[in-house]
Amino acid sequence: MSDVSSLSEAIERGDAKAAAAATRRALERGADPMSLVSEGISPAMTEMGRQFGEGDCFVPELLMAARATKEVFEILRPLLSQKGTKPVARVVLGTVRGDLHDIGKNLVGALLEGGGFEVTDLGVDVPPERFVAAVEHQKPEIVGLSALLTTTLPAMKATLEALRDAGIRGQVKVMIGGAPVTASYADAIGADGYAENAGTAVDLARRLIGADVASRSKGEPAT
Amino acid sequence: MNQEQWETLVAVVRGETPRPLPTGFIIDCPWLPNWAGHTILDYFTDERMFLEDNLKAIRTFPKALFLPGFWSEYGMCTEPSAFGAASVWEQNEFPFAKKVLRSPAEVDGLERPNPRKDGLLPFVIKRLQHLEPEIERAGHSIRFAVARGPLNIATFLMGATEFLTAIKTEPERMHRLLSITTDFLVDWIAYQRECFPSIDGILLLDDIVGFVGRRDFESFGLPYLKRAFDADVTVKFFHNDAPCKACAPCLPDAGINLLNFGVQHTLGEMRAWTGDSITLLGNVPPRDVLGAGTPADVTRAVTDMLNATDFRSRLIPSCGGGMPPGVPTENIEAFVATVEALTR
Repeated sequence: MSDVSSLSEAIERGDAKAAAAATRRALERGADPMSLVSEGISPAMTEMGRQFGEGDCFVPELLMAARATKEVFEILRPLLSQKGTKPVARVVLGTVRGDLHDIGKNLVGALLEGGGFEVTDLGVDVPPERFVAAVEHQKPEIVGLSALLTTTLPAMKATLEALRDAGIRGQVKVMIGGAPVTASYADAIGADGYAENAGTAVDLARRLIGADVASRSKGEPAT
Repeated sequence: MNQEQWETLVAVVRGETPRPLPTGFIIDCPWLPNWAGHTILDYFTDERMFLEDNLKAIRTFPKALFLPGFWSEYGMCTEPSAFGAASVWEQNEFPFAKKVLRSPAEVDGLERPNPRKDGLLPFVIKRLQHLEPEIERAGHSIRFAVARGPLNIATFLMGATEFLTAIKTEPERMHRLLSITTDFLVDWIAYQRECFPSIDGILLLDDIVGFVGRRDFESFGLPYLKRAFDADVTVKFFHNDAPCKACAPCLPDAGINLLNFGVQHTLGEMRAWTGDSITLLGNVPPRDVLGAGTPADVTRAVTDMLNATDFRSRLIPSCGGGMPPGVPTENIEAFVATVEALTR
């Protein structure tokens, strides 16, 4: 089995030590760090996301895979940085104000990172102004808002309004998700996309970026 | 719940099929105080308001079964508070409990609380005891002992991400944690029954069991749920509105005979997975339809649900989960009227 396949399998098993060992072995043999992301980590996390979406794998397995991915990125990040490798896109992620639940956000963050996105996790109970500051300073392409409580849904709307008031709404795509969130709610508050579960969040993020690229290529402003 | 309503519920749970079918809803702080015109914090801190808001709902919708009826509730803080969790209360948001365990290793120092004196539990009990005479005078009784389930409490104590990771990395410690939360639950349920002899049901709310696969449920869920439900009561009611295909076939083994589940699954699917012994309480979308829809939307959704369901036994039409915030009176009336019209 190749080192890249070993890496993928270790991530899918949630075996962080084996994933790190496979990564080190591959690098010693001259593997390109970016190829380990695109051929090792990304397919593994895509597969985990697919299985999760279909109910064939569950939160603990996904968390373990995320843990293994994180361990591998600890090794790869400095090498990717040295080579000047660009992420697919940058994402700022957080659970909105008043909500302390982090599991959905963490799963989405792990899957996005596994998919080659650079993720900045603002944590939980994040007020709108912190999202605004993060967009201004980090210039992400995507903002992800998570909520578990029905009572904190209005904080998603408030965050979108804050981005609008700061004049930066057009600079980013906003995707939202969480147990009480629905597609119709996303439409109602003017979000760009809604992910039904963590497994679909990466596809959504890719679609949002693709749509943005397409609209810009036609000379239209990004909305 | 008055005597007639309780008897209807028990009859359905035992397999009788009344005509029309009863409609039932879980109602609590996410919906009730705001519907009655009050903030959540006022509802929790004012005994009169708590009583009157509940009575207002019961009187406004006399044909609906409100489950679990009058019950011991301080939102999600009730059980975690007994373990020493700091509780955060805002004027009109659900109270929430802060974590008390910063690492799995701290489980080793966790003590089993005493429901008679720890946290908010004595206040919860006293409030209900103060109100019990008036509840009885209004023709109702306290029917259910209610608590968050063992996994749910565990995640409040240490965080969902941390708990669900630790069942893989430190399974023995997580079993120890679940043993403590379950021992506590058994005591807490017994104490509620001791304080209110009219109790003949247990309601456990535990969404976390929906986050794990079958094997993990059989190890970390089933034995603890089984123990928590192991009491001589007629109705053993479980709420889990996370996806629960993996654990559903095991729920009868836990002793559960009434289930409220989420909209991810249809009534037909859940019946196929759980078998005929469990009464299903569901399954119209709570937020998109009951909360955000019009009465016509509700009527359509209830009609579609009943048309798509080829059984009427052990069925109580409801929404998939508890009553969400913002559901207007007319939507509940439309729901009840549609069930009544279609199941005569």
